[in-house]
Amino acid sequence: MHNNDGQSEPVNLVSPAQQSHLKQFREQVSTTGGTIELVDRSPEGVRHAVLARASTSRPILVAEPRYLSPDYFRPLRSEEGVLTNPKADDYRSAPVGVTEAFAAVARTGSVCVDVGADIAGYVSLLPRLHIVVVDIDRLVFRPSDLFRLEQFARPTFHRSFVFISGPSATADMGPLVRGVHGPHELHIVVLC
Amino acid sequence: MAKHVISPREVAAKESRAILRCAIRFALDTESAAVRHNTRSFNLNRYRATAALPDYDALKDEARRIKEHALANHQTLVQRLSESVTRNGGHFFFARDAQEARQYIQEICKRHRVRSLVKGKSMTSEEIHLNGALEHDGIRVVETDLAEFILQAADEQPSHIIAPAIHYSRERITALFRRKFQTDLPLDTGEDLTRFARELLRQDFLAADAGITGANLVSANCGSLLLVESEANIRLTCIAPPLHIALAGLEKIVPSRREFAPFIELLAASATGQPLTSYTSVIQPPLAVPVVDFRGAGPATREFHLVILDNGREALAHDAQLKEALYCIRCSACLNSCANFQVLGGHGFGGATYSGGIGATWEVATTGQLKLARFSDLCTGCTRCVSQCPVRIDVPGLNVELRSRLNMSIPFSLPARAMQVLVGASPSEPASAQQLFFAHYDRVARLGMFFAPLSNYLLKVPGARWLLEKSFGIDQRRHLAPFPRKTWVDTSADDVAEKPDAPPGPEVVVLADVFTNYGAPERGRDALRCLRAAGLRVCLTKSMPDGRAALSQGMIETARTQAETLSKYLAAENATERPLLVVEPSVLAMILREYRKLLSAEAFAKLQNSTIDLVQFLARHFAEQGSDPCFVFDIHKFGPGPRVFYHAHCQLRAVSDPSITVDFLRRLGFEVTCSQVECCGMAGSFGYKKDFYDVSEAVSEELVEQWKAAESALGPHTLLASGVSCIEQLQGATERAVLHPVELLAKLL
Repeated sequence: MHNNDGQSEPVNLVSPAQQSHLKQFREQVSTTGGTIELVDRSPEGVRHAVLARASTSRPILVAEPRYLSPDYFRPLRSEEGVLTNPKADDYRSAPVGVTEAFAAVARTGSVCVDVGADIAGYVSLLPRLHIVVVDIDRLVFRPSDLFRLEQFARPTFHRSFVFISGPSATADMGPLVRGVHGPHELHIVVLC
Repeated sequence: MAKHVISPREVAAKESRAILRCAIRFALDTESAAVRHNTRSFNLNRYRATAALPDYDALKDEARRIKEHALANHQTLVQRLSESVTRNGGHFFFARDAQEARQYIQEICKRHRVRSLVKGKSMTSEEIHLNGALEHDGIRVVETDLAEFILQAADEQPSHIIAPAIHYSRERITALFRRKFQTDLPLDTGEDLTRFARELLRQDFLAADAGITGANLVSANCGSLLLVESEANIRLTCIAPPLHIALAGLEKIVPSRREFAPFIELLAASATGQPLTSYTSVIQPPLAVPVVDFRGAGPATREFHLVILDNGREALAHDAQLKEALYCIRCSACLNSCANFQVLGGHGFGGATYSGGIGATWEVATTGQLKLARFSDLCTGCTRCVSQCPVRIDVPGLNVELRSRLNMSIPFSLPARAMQVLVGASPSEPASAQQLFFAHYDRVARLGMFFAPLSNYLLKVPGARWLLEKSFGIDQRRHLAPFPRKTWVDTSADDVAEKPDAPPGPEVVVLADVFTNYGAPERGRDALRCLRAAGLRVCLTKSMPDGRAALSQGMIETARTQAETLSKYLAAENATERPLLVVEPSVLAMILREYRKLLSAEAFAKLQNSTIDLVQFLARHFAEQGSDPCFVFDIHKFGPGPRVFYHAHCQLRAVSDPSITVDFLRRLGFEVTCSQVECCGMAGSFGYKKDFYDVSEAVSEELVEQWKAAESALGPHTLLASGVSCIEQLQGATERAVLHPVELLAKLL
């Protein structure tokens, strides 16, 4: 298994149960029109994955993580062209947004992003490319698991969040079109 | 003089048959192609997605339970929700009717000096005609869902609950945008059109002073909204402007977020046929998110208002016959699985806001005008939607009830009175001459037989069919089978009498349903021959109406009386102690489905346990005996060959598994291709009625296409259909002989 850069993906770190969910997750993400890569669970891994996917597009808006350790985003934050405190004009023009997800859902290929506080709601919505970072330990099977596993996301449940399943899309203009009012591309970085 | 071009709005409120006819004509001429393509694609995707849900049936049960419980306790939930919203820092308003809701929202907008606002798709806002009121106040209202954006540009009402512009092909959207926006930008692909709309709307989102959304569900104990979408316009509407107003019917409230869980996957699978749509938001407004000053209006704080709307829902919750419409989660599965909706869309088969079979109850409940239910006549009762509904709503049942209420206002007419006398109908249940004609099919047939062959001769006299069309609305273009000289029961009396040399096999009872008895006595005799050849002792009942014909005309009391009479007769004959076999699927479904509502629980249970489709019984019989049916039914005796094209009756599929028949035929050596349509379009009396002839023909096109495709791929097929009306429809459309499965089996003896 190789990611975009031809490096081996760290799949050996994953248990058999997670492997099966992960397989389904990958398939489903691709059905929804998203892309996915597995990276080493490290701040450098996150930085490298985000910069590789963003290519030369700048600025990159980054929302601070609340569930992942902030350490994961630290090297990324110090990169040139990365904004963590964007203004209205930055939101209007930035081509890339990076957020964490507090969970991922195998069956539906979704990532769950907290949009109830801070700026993740904008950062995951306004730029054309949304890169989302999620911990593989946060992969569940179905959406309803999130409502059942009270332990899953303390403290209690997130006040406001969204299951994101692929880029924004419409079938209202005839054929399926990806990229409507939200991101045109969704890239999921899974930390293993 | 230029021909007047009808606009959908002119025929939105279907107050009369004339408007309904006009809307049907308009929909078939203008919108049918796009609607067919889009609804059938939704329909296929839904079948695929629900099959992939590991616990589809359990989810439906849970969803239904949640809705039943929530509606039974809606007053408590409204109270709790009001406290939750206030606790969260939002504002709560309960609007008793459309006017109160409009005024409240207008007031907030005035107070905030709202000049422009963006809207996510909200059927409830369509229901209360919100846009017009806000525009009257000088507010620029921008619909941001692309389908609603199209409709706003075209000034049309929605034609589908989740894809409101489903009647627009890409080409028509291009033409509309060119005309409306006077632009030279490229608009010739879906991408072009989307880019054009996105760029216009992105400016509107960021400049808006307020955002209005609906909600798929609302949780009472924490004030959360469930919002399901794909375009991200709802997410933007909730977060970009500082003021967020959500409008939802009171039926959307459930106790807590926990109850969202079963609906999330169920709704996506039932609606667009996806595991999930792009965005399923669970938000608890007002969001604790800073307001970005896109407008350049300086710092602002977030404000949230939740408007919960009654507008007839409270009364509907107390209407025992219609209240289950409130469980509707607006997924559109019933529309997409409806053969008539597939060719018409919601401008033909719908009202000003709500469409399809479920829409009639909603239009009546939210407007208080029963006459607006006229389009419920387009529900044929085929019941294909019932198994597709995620909350198991009996949509055809709602429409029968509406029809019965509409019947109450039928004025006295001489032809109807004469018909009542002629067929001996009860004068206490009002009905039109046409309804009486179809409801008392058995009496009409008996009269026709009594006067046969004179009556058959009379039907051929020039002008006779015109007269029939004038007086009963029976379309002249329909073939009418001649009245037989003798019924099934007349000619089988000797056959079924206990003979000393009768085989000593188990005994079965065959129901001499009125349709086979009067309409196809030969088929009935074939059925008896097949059973006897299988070593069964056969007993044929008397023929009496089962209530199906009356029920389909909305004559519920006549249907109930007939059901009770038949059930008592069968009990007296001990028919329910033995297997009770039925040839005609509409009667089978009447007993197995509709009798649940018409009979006592005990009487229904007895019939439910003993009644079975005749061919399916034969299949089971051979399987239980462990004997090879090929010894009895020899395919080599059938000249035309082994290929058959089988259309299973819609109602047969509602109450049984038609693959049993298919497997049995395959066991005998047949190569079976099955139709993939929901209904043939005839649907009992529906396709005979002049008003609906064109709809019926449009529906049958797909079935004929599938038959032709099978023939061109594999060669000639024998046509097979399981119901009286499907056989008539297929015969008419293909000009070929169509057999009932028992007729095919009889040819193998």
